[in-house]
Amino acid sequence: MPGIVCAIRGGASSLPTIQKAIDLAKETGQQIHFLYVVNLDFLVATGRSRTHTIAHEMREMGEFILLKTQITAEREGVKAQGVVREGQVRKEIIEFSKEIEADYIVLGFPRGEGREDVFDHERLDEFSRQIESETGAKAVFPEE
Amino acid sequence: MRARKFGFALSLLLALGMALLNNWQSPAQERQSGALLTGIIYDRQGQPVFNALVSLISAGGNPIEQSNTQQDGRYALEIPNPLPDGLLLSIERAHFHSMELPLQDEVQAELEQGGIVALADLTLVRRVDIGFWIATLIFIAVLILIASNVLHNTLAALLGAALLFLVSYLGAAISERLFIFDFEGALHYVDWNVIFLIMGMMIVIAVVERTGIFQWLAFMAYRISRGRIWLLLLILMIITGVASAFLDNVTTMLLMTPITIEIALSLGINPLALLIPQVFASNVVGISTLVGTPTNILIGSYANISFNDFLINLTPGVLLALVGLMIYSQLVYRKSLQAQTGDGISEILLQKLEERAIITETEHLKKAGWVGLGMLILFVTGENFHLLPSVTALIGATALLVWIRPDIEEMIEAVDWTTLVFFITLFICVGAIQEVGLISFIADGIARLVGENLVLAMLAIIWLGAILSTVIANIPFTAAMLPVIAFLTKGIPGAESKVLFYCLSVGSAMGGNGSLIGASANMVTAGISERAGYSITYAYFLKKGFPALLITVGLASVWLLIRFL
Repeated sequence: MPGIVCAIRGGASSLPTIQKAIDLAKETGQQIHFLYVVNLDFLVATGRSRTHTIAHEMREMGEFILLKTQITAEREGVKAQGVVREGQVRKEIIEFSKEIEADYIVLGFPRGEGREDVFDHERLDEFSRQIESETGAKAVFPEE
Repeated sequence: MRARKFGFALSLLLALGMALLNNWQSPAQERQSGALLTGIIYDRQGQPVFNALVSLISAGGNPIEQSNTQQDGRYALEIPNPLPDGLLLSIERAHFHSMELPLQDEVQAELEQGGIVALADLTLVRRVDIGFWIATLIFIAVLILIASNVLHNTLAALLGAALLFLVSYLGAAISERLFIFDFEGALHYVDWNVIFLIMGMMIVIAVVERTGIFQWLAFMAYRISRGRIWLLLLILMIITGVASAFLDNVTTMLLMTPITIEIALSLGINPLALLIPQVFASNVVGISTLVGTPTNILIGSYANISFNDFLINLTPGVLLALVGLMIYSQLVYRKSLQAQTGDGISEILLQKLEERAIITETEHLKKAGWVGLGMLILFVTGENFHLLPSVTALIGATALLVWIRPDIEEMIEAVDWTTLVFFITLFICVGAIQEVGLISFIADGIARLVGENLVLAMLAIIWLGAILSTVIANIPFTAAMLPVIAFLTKGIPGAESKVLFYCLSVGSAMGGNGSLIGASANMVTAGISERAGYSITYAYFLKKGFPALLITVGLASVWLLIRFL
């Protein structure tokens, strides 16, 4: 099931990434797999005991964000599906891309530098090299 | 070898037997006259001094009788018969200057006749030594570690408590001036009422949060508003506020934030236009009940303020502040609330929203509702039969667990033990600065500033609390301020109504709206929102939150002034 993996967070910052994935899907005729990763690191300072409930809520929210994105893609005539994973963003993107034997991985541009789950330019370069060597997929970025 | 061991054991037993016999005989040998010498010892702030060693000393310098003061500073010495002349009363206590005073002839004469003599209250004077500075530095370090996020709150407080014990036990071997308190003395400062109340409420919340009630309520808010987003915002603020008054704010926002984001996405508006006013409402309305915020739990337990007292004295002010907050939110977000994208996909999203907004555990919710009602009745009426709120919370939590029979392991895991350890170790850290006298000096300083002016004291506590809560964690701040407020309450005419404690509640909780780090609920909301692609930066929160702080704290101040003057 080859295709395009597009990891998104939602919001305005994800729009160029989504559009890039849609354009690439039109170009290659492949399906897009929108990926939302639930990451609960922000609970470290406030309360791990709530993890069970909040993980469920975040999954629901992720599904919702993905549904909205899927509708956008399908309106442009592109086949898309949404997948929610839980864990570290980098690891989950690589794992999922390996699972579906993705040909392309579309990544967004930096937002919120210094955070573990967001990529700055340097880390993005490093991550794209890691992706290409570990998954065999090509890393693609929207134009800045 | 075996015979030697047996001989050793026999000797040990004999020695023990002799010691017991000796003790057994001693009361008979001591001829007590039946006379008692009693009194109370205070510090200069009028607080009773606990665990001071009071000794009756003979002219030769030998202690005849000794006793330790109780929690209320009282001591009672049994007087032997016959009573030698030239007796001295000696008082010793770590972190205080020792005191010696001769027993007056008339007192001695009355004691010889077997009477009970109550001496005039005595005042011990604080002594600033190296232990004072060490405890102070450790407390400041804990505050900095918490504020800077270098260490987790609990780890910072745990580290502080461990250092205090290390200095007290190892340091005291070098110099007695390094002694701060021993383990038993430290536990004296832990408020178990607070710990058990929080624990009980956590179990109740763990059951309620899994029923889907929050998601259902949020969806109902959407339905009732029928596309009028200004109305949706008001209803969401009310739901969040009411939930926060009974549950902790962090849990409320953890559950309300994802569903609010989904509603906003369905309507095509920026989720922050709903989320920020909601978290403001959570921080403001949370203080209307005893159990709404950890700071209120601390205040209620320390100052013996009941559930009803909070309802009567704070809720009207909170409602006034909420109205102000609602108007402010409508004005600040008026553009965002109108800016629907209208991309035509909202119907599908709304359908998805409706599917998700169902109550998943109807039976559990009903049972939790009945137990919650019972708890509310006990919270309201409990003070009539001296039922502590912590006991009510424990009874409620246990009743719910027995009735619902959930996976007990899962429920116990849902208790935030990290927070409970934080509270215990924080109490120890605050206890240390209380023990060495820092709190007394701060109280003295504030008292000198405000004099006997109640209005000035009220405004100082509210606004100082509010501003400081924007930069330092409000739980340690509140815990440290409680003895200060108790001192001011004693010294300022009109403050007996405990008004200054309500001022502390308003300042420390509503101040949380002033900055992103001002309240845990803010951080949680920002964390979830960020993961949906809507970032709440420090500057953004400050821009929206600081005016909200000024409005809500201002309105609550007006209410408190009207209510108590």
